[in-house]
Amino acid sequence: MTRIALVIGALATIVYPIPLQLQGTTYYQTVGFLVLVNAMLGVGWNVIGGWAGQFDFGPQVFFAVGAYTSALLYVKLGVDAWLGLPVAAAVAALICVVLTYPLTRLRGHYFAISTVAIWMIAQPIGATWEYIGAAQGLFIPVKPRTGVVASALSLQFSGPTKAMGYYYTALVLFAVTLALMAVVERSKLGYYFRAIRDDQEAAEGIGIDSRLYKVIARSITAAVFAAAGVLYAFWALSVFPEQVLELNWSTLPIMATVVGGIGRLWGPVLGAVILIPISQIMSTTLGTGPLAGRGIDLIVYGLIIIVIAAFRPTGLLSLPWSRWFRPGPATA
Amino acid sequence: MAPLLQVEASTKRFGGLAANRDISLAMEAGEIVGLIGPNGAGKTTLFNCVTGYMHPDDGRIVFDGRDITHTRPERICRLGVARTWQVVRAFGRMTALENVVCGALERTNRVVEARVRATELLEFTELRGKHDAPAATLTLADKKRLEIARALATRPKLLLLDEAMSGLTPIEAAAAVQLVRRIHEELKVTMCVVEHVMEVVMPLSHRVVVLDYGVKIADGTPQAIVRDEQVIRAYLGERRAAH
Repeated sequence: MTRIALVIGALATIVYPIPLQLQGTTYYQTVGFLVLVNAMLGVGWNVIGGWAGQFDFGPQVFFAVGAYTSALLYVKLGVDAWLGLPVAAAVAALICVVLTYPLTRLRGHYFAISTVAIWMIAQPIGATWEYIGAAQGLFIPVKPRTGVVASALSLQFSGPTKAMGYYYTALVLFAVTLALMAVVERSKLGYYFRAIRDDQEAAEGIGIDSRLYKVIARSITAAVFAAAGVLYAFWALSVFPEQVLELNWSTLPIMATVVGGIGRLWGPVLGAVILIPISQIMSTTLGTGPLAGRGIDLIVYGLIIIVIAAFRPTGLLSLPWSRWFRPGPATA
Repeated sequence: MAPLLQVEASTKRFGGLAANRDISLAMEAGEIVGLIGPNGAGKTTLFNCVTGYMHPDDGRIVFDGRDITHTRPERICRLGVARTWQVVRAFGRMTALENVVCGALERTNRVVEARVRATELLEFTELRGKHDAPAATLTLADKKRLEIARALATRPKLLLLDEAMSGLTPIEAAAAVQLVRRIHEELKVTMCVVEHVMEVVMPLSHRVVVLDYGVKIADGTPQAIVRDEQVIRAYLGERRAAH
């Protein structure tokens, strides 16, 4: 049953842009792109927030590190995005190790606010550091590419297939992230992260170095955020502090994770598929026309999230889906 | 042969209160030592010092020839000391099997191997059929067994049980005593058993150590301990003349 749902979901995800492309619509492909980016971020955040149980409100720092690293490599050294991506992920993970190790002395709310504090420190650095363009940031010049393959290899799509190109790139990165996190979940790391979440003292008593594994968990999250940051930089063709250090790069994935099912591999995916289109639909319907500019769309969007959180705090994935969709009595 | 565990004049103070004062004791490999004393005698503090959750202010703790006075819990576990908790600390959102797998991963990096070991230990602790139950849903008796299985999965040389029998029904407690005996006989693990109920410890232990107000007041065979004047006074209070 679950397998059938997965196959249908995968096929729908792959086919999705084709009818839109034939119609000449790009808007819904961009919505799809944003769903995939946020799903990917949510799957990454789930490692530190869901499995290791440490509330990290500052992962957007690593999104920015990824975006800046790849943009710098491209602008200053001419390194292509795909080569820049693993470098960016590694740089983000490394910075994360250095920043997070001291924080792991803190627990609960204190850990959470310290991640926010680092984000607050990152903002003025981003806004004043001349080498990375300070407040104006970096612009990524588009080099003319001929053909789909050349565009895909350089992660630069332009013209009428731009939205579709980035949609599929996001799909690939999302799928790779999901597959890697599925491996992590079933590995020693996955067990140790959850042990620390459930009881840190008990985890230490059976030989788990809680500080080390928290650092590893957050570095995995950081690497995923950095990879998404690279994608975003080449999609937006620019990187500047207000954009890549925006709070939404953590709140949207975190909300998607919580709404979908925190600590479950597919939770953030379901959450992103539900929340991101709702937010887009709200802003294009309630956010325009006579009510425009009054934030009605955000109010309704917020209410939807509150209702889901109140009604199902363990996430929508924890609903008894298989019972509802199984024909006849349980066969398992 | 040097003892497996040696506590030398360990003192632990909390502010002005000495929870452990000048405690010395030794444990030989293969022993079951009962550690008893009234509430607040300092039993759990001593456990915490031996397992690295606290570090003594004075004195020294040596395990298997290594000084572990200031070693962290996860390192001490690696050296071969495992413990259970007075208030159970199972990983509530993980299944029983996953709990024990976490322990077994201390000695292997391969999850498949850890699962095999964990399955054996759930069998050993008579938790079969409960593999997939989230630990939070188990009964207290089962949670305590699960903690023991998880601790055993780390392949300890020394196992410290902190009130593994308290809060259990008489039948459950009898089964727990049986389990302790089997761990000792079949797995050859040295054990220190903390209880404040004397009746549980006496038939089980080769030797009994008694703490009172943070001080060791007796150390000997169960037979000698029950006749010890100081121990009787600690448990029953000063004998008063009848009016």
